Amino acid sequence: MVQKEQEWISIPMTVDVPYRFAAGQYLTKYLVEMRDNGKIFAVKCPRCKRVQLPPRIVCAECHVKNEEWVELAQEGTLVAFTIMYLPLTDPTTGKPHEPPFVYGSVRLDGATSVLDHFVNVEPDMEKVWVGMRMRLVLRPKEQRTGDLSDILYYEPLPGQVRPK
Amino acid sequence: MEEIKHYEPFEVDQHLTANSRYYAGRMGSRFYVALRDQQKILGAKCPKCNKVLWPPRSTCHVCFSELTETVEIGPLGTVETFTVVTYNEPVQPRKAPFVYAVIRLDGADTGMAHFLDEVDLDEVHIGMRVRPVFARDRKANILDIQYFKPL
Ligand SMILES: [Zn+2]
Ligand SMILES: [Zn+2]
Repeated sequence: MVQKEQEWISIPMTVDVPYRFAAGQYLTKYLVEMRDNGKIFAVKCPRCKRVQLPPRIVCAECHVKNEEWVELAQEGTLVAFTIMYLPLTDPTTGKPHEPPFVYGSVRLDGATSVLDHFVNVEPDMEKVWVGMRMRLVLRPKEQRTGDLSDILYYEPLPGQVRPK
Repeated sequence: MEEIKHYEPFEVDQHLTANSRYYAGRMGSRFYVALRDQQKILGAKCPKCNKVLWPPRSTCHVCFSELTETVEIGPLGTVETFTVVTYNEPVQPRKAPFVYAVIRLDGADTGMAHFLDEVDLDEVHIGMRVRPVFARDRKANILDIQYFKPL
């Protein structure tokens, strides 16, 4: 018997979940200081001396309690990046960030760990490179809400030339 | 001495959105097409253990046989179990209160969860006889059955 070619069904689905998390003691200080004073605070491990950002109560490497706070510079170095060709869902709004755009890991001066965010350069491999010096750009104070969207993006320091 | 600053407890609002596409497969596609075009509900019949599974699938979960045969089931069915949702949660598709019921259609050996509407919340019970209400504008998804309601 010849089987009639059947119709194949697929169904688009969207999971849409607003939620709220309690920031806890350490993340609260980090988010509130960024929102109210435009400062970036990290924690320093008493044993291995690594400076962790975002700050956590326990050092991720040696599992001891972090108690020393350090304010970081708002300049740093791009250590990795990607050019995104797929939309990335913004964790604050749930809305997609339209591609293409550059997303990168920046090690702020004085930090051991990196903080990932948008990089405000053209999505062009000739215009962005590892080692590029960056500056953190925050939203204007009155628009800050106390989450990672208070950071708008990293922006390259002016006058840099791509190394040959 | 270092000045100790106290921070108020702080909560962060976030929003998770994930877009995806569900592929119904061979047996699932037949089920949705029959539902959309004929308002018929199909189950998958296992050739080995004779169980009729709803919604249809390609593998019997009892004996792992491949399933290719569909049989019409329902449209009447029985409430196997249920829950009355009394609070609102963003992930729920409805505003509370509403009833989720697992309904086993006549001729099927498995039940499936769906809405149970047009029912007094105090009257819902296991064993209640129900029938489907089909959507007028059907799109080949499970909401082509809008909900079930008591006989
Ligand atoms: Zn450490
Ligand atoms: Zn079987």
